[in-house]
Amino acid sequence: MERVYIYKGFERIWHWSQALIIGFLGLTGFEIHGSYSLLGFDFAVRWHTYAAWALVILIVFAIFWHFTTGEWRQYIPTTKMLKEQFMYYIGGIFNNAPHPTNKTVYNKFNPLQRMIYLGLKILVIPIIVTSGFLYLYFQYPKFGIEFQSLEPIALIHTFGAYILIAFVIAHVYLTTVTGVKSLSSIKAMIFGWEEMEEEEIKIVVEEEMEVALKIIRSKLDAGDERSAILDHALEEVEGKLGVQRETYFRDAISQSSAGYFCISKDGYYKEVNDAWIKLYKYDSRDEIIGKHYRLSRSEEDFKELEATVAKVLKGETINHGEVKRICKDGVEGYHTLTLSPVYIDDEISCFEGFIIDTTARYLAEREMMKKKLRLAERQQKKDDEKENN
Amino acid sequence: MFSFVAIDFLSKKYQNSINMKKIISLVFLLSAVGWVMADSGEPLTDSVRSFPIENYIFKADRNTDPSVDHSKFEVLQQPFENAHELTAACLSCHTERDKEIMATSHWKWEREEYIEGKGIVPLGKKNILNNFCIGVAGSEATCTRCHIGYGWKDKHFDFTEPTNIDCVVCHDNSGTYFKGKGMAGLPDPSVNLNVVAQSVGQPTTANCGVCHFWGGGGNNVKHGDLDVAMLDCSREVDIHMGRETEEMSCVDCHKTEKHQMAGRVYALSSENHDRVTCAQCHTDKPHKDQILNDHNLRVACQTCHIPVYAKANATKLWWDWSTAGRMDENGKPTHENDAYGNHNYLSIKGNFVYDDHVIPEYFWFNGLANHQLITDKIDTIPVQINSLYGSYRDKGALQASKEPSKIWPVKVHRGRQPYDTINMTLIQPKLWDKEKGKGAYWTDFDWDEACKKGMEYVGQPYSGAYGFVETEMYWPLNHQVSPADKALKCVDCHTRNKSRLASLTDFYLPGRDRNAFLDGFGLIAIIGAIIGVIGHTVLRRYLGRKCFFQEESKQ
Repeated sequence: MERVYIYKGFERIWHWSQALIIGFLGLTGFEIHGSYSLLGFDFAVRWHTYAAWALVILIVFAIFWHFTTGEWRQYIPTTKMLKEQFMYYIGGIFNNAPHPTNKTVYNKFNPLQRMIYLGLKILVIPIIVTSGFLYLYFQYPKFGIEFQSLEPIALIHTFGAYILIAFVIAHVYLTTVTGVKSLSSIKAMIFGWEEMEEEEIKIVVEEEMEVALKIIRSKLDAGDERSAILDHALEEVEGKLGVQRETYFRDAISQSSAGYFCISKDGYYKEVNDAWIKLYKYDSRDEIIGKHYRLSRSEEDFKELEATVAKVLKGETINHGEVKRICKDGVEGYHTLTLSPVYIDDEISCFEGFIIDTTARYLAEREMMKKKLRLAERQQKKDDEKENN
Repeated sequence: MFSFVAIDFLSKKYQNSINMKKIISLVFLLSAVGWVMADSGEPLTDSVRSFPIENYIFKADRNTDPSVDHSKFEVLQQPFENAHELTAACLSCHTERDKEIMATSHWKWEREEYIEGKGIVPLGKKNILNNFCIGVAGSEATCTRCHIGYGWKDKHFDFTEPTNIDCVVCHDNSGTYFKGKGMAGLPDPSVNLNVVAQSVGQPTTANCGVCHFWGGGGNNVKHGDLDVAMLDCSREVDIHMGRETEEMSCVDCHKTEKHQMAGRVYALSSENHDRVTCAQCHTDKPHKDQILNDHNLRVACQTCHIPVYAKANATKLWWDWSTAGRMDENGKPTHENDAYGNHNYLSIKGNFVYDDHVIPEYFWFNGLANHQLITDKIDTIPVQINSLYGSYRDKGALQASKEPSKIWPVKVHRGRQPYDTINMTLIQPKLWDKEKGKGAYWTDFDWDEACKKGMEYVGQPYSGAYGFVETEMYWPLNHQVSPADKALKCVDCHTRNKSRLASLTDFYLPGRDRNAFLDGFGLIAIIGAIIGVIGHTVLRRYLGRKCFFQEESKQ
């Protein structure tokens, strides 16, 4: 049993203060509704209003946090891989390119949670907050605007409250179902660390690795001068998870959708992972281990790569742009490439790296280019015709 | 192979950032709590100084010394043959005041009022009908004991004669002046006019009260919130006039200019102007609590601050003229009292119901009122003597004040009184005369004759067929304001059962109203969620594994 850091400090304070405030709002709210007499109507009204303001302030902070940390993506399942998915559908899918979104890409919430929480955030909470404000400020002709009746506002507000109660019941129950033990999810929400089975942790680490690699890859694409891509990826992952166990990373690498390879300094494959084998369309590891990397390159590309390898063997870490690979069946594919030396006893004995497939993107870009050219040609023709006329 | 240095560095950095976040979050939360705490108002006290007061001189600061001593004026020391000479003496110094008086409704007993659908009509005690003594016409000589004049015994009274004005009924400060019974407003012969004349001053509560407390034939009969007890009452009865508090008099609020008193009673008026308001001293933001101040947009101050009326003496709530005329075994007029000593039967007037500590009824009121004139056909039963206009939807767009209707506490006086069953109008019967045989009901006990004489007097048709019809009359409450701690609490209205506003159903009142369908839905949603949880638990146990959700979460 291991523990992984899942919920960050603000997130936990936000969650529990929100829970507290909403609970208090429910308690006072239903007293105002006339359901019972507990704290006194005037107390309930006064403190319901204060609590509402506290909630609004908290929501403002939470929105800020979600956007500055990018956590908002946790709630919008479709935007995270939207572009890749889109490209895949218009191009890659026809060439049997790998599916760009992995269903196990790390996220805090399962798809059902995402849907429900998103519904709360963009539907229930806004409705309840908006109707609450109208309830507070537009029942009298104070600002020149007044609703003809408080009734619809009050009913919408009450409706929101009922939905929230039903949600809380289901929510609290489900937290006891999902964890390793029935209270481990709640403990995680309190302390930040979630207990997980070894298997689960591996999945989490893998997912996080991929995301980290992709983020760094994109930074490199954007021209950021960063080397040691793997180290950065690991830092990101560790920062997010708080996991410090090397073995997970080895496992993560072997199961990552990013291809991993290790080549001896004289150019023979020592190790590749499953993703690599898949990308190169080999059937098993044995087919490639011990072979020279010349095998998977065209003649001219090999020369270029050889020069790069030479640099790596002198100790440099290289981020290579898009390169072409020759797969086992002779079909061409495209990927980006990182290369870094591996030291054993202070001496470079081999080099390793990751490849991330870009075939789909490459093909899509090529299609786009063609389309542009065709459009330009057509435009040219039209212009010529006009001139001739 | 992996950069452990970077990991160490990062975890440290990470720890620091957690601490920073925690500190920031804590500071934010504490400041939010502090802000909330700071804003929660102190509880209200009923100390005068604890809320804003303007345009008011406190008891401690009042100068009660008169500026002149009227006993030193020779003109007031002469023997007065009659009361008219006294008035002449007053006017010999206070010239032009007679013209002011003659412009007032206290003098004219009528004024021009606009009623929607009826136009401008003269309204006043002179011609209005109520459901107490019905009206003055034909019985002036006794009713005008409450007129500020001398000699109004029939319609030939000269309203232009200055010496017909009774100055001292309002300005006597000796307490010895009173008008005679059935003397058309002239003083009782026993009154020493020199004593009265030499002790004049500003009207006191007693001067006003002699008519306004005793209207309708007895103390507190009509208004329910104007009672002789207010001359010397506790703060519980009236926080303004109470002996332990400010001991205010009527004219402290009913400010007067050129003898025009501010304030109007909706028994006699229909328009929304010249009113006395709480806000003229208390401002429009008297509470520390903004929510309470907001209430005043649709709730009159009186609604919460006059939780009950008739706090010292009972008031009349029911007057049934139809039972009048029953004599005792000797054929003499008789009377019966209830357990508290209030009349519940008089041969001349019929049956009554009195009550004290009455809970008001509540109505929307925008300051405008209708009146059932003697010429109006009866089209509703009970007949609405003076219905108050207003509704939740009335936001003031249709009236001069532009103010929305407010919820007001109202005394409703109900009764049964004579009407013409063929012409379908109310009847002005002749009630009083000095002598028997003139057709007055109180002397002859003959309704048909009284109706005939009365209607003849006011020049209205009478078919000869009379009956008794139920009537309702509305008296918005303004006086006998209670101490703040006795004011209504939120839950007096905002409650599911027994809300004070249960009869006002044209709007949604939080705490009182609910939508049964929505609450049903809510209940089903909550119970559904609970059943779902229980069912899920049972299935998990039954199948021995957390199969359902685990499957899902691994997708």
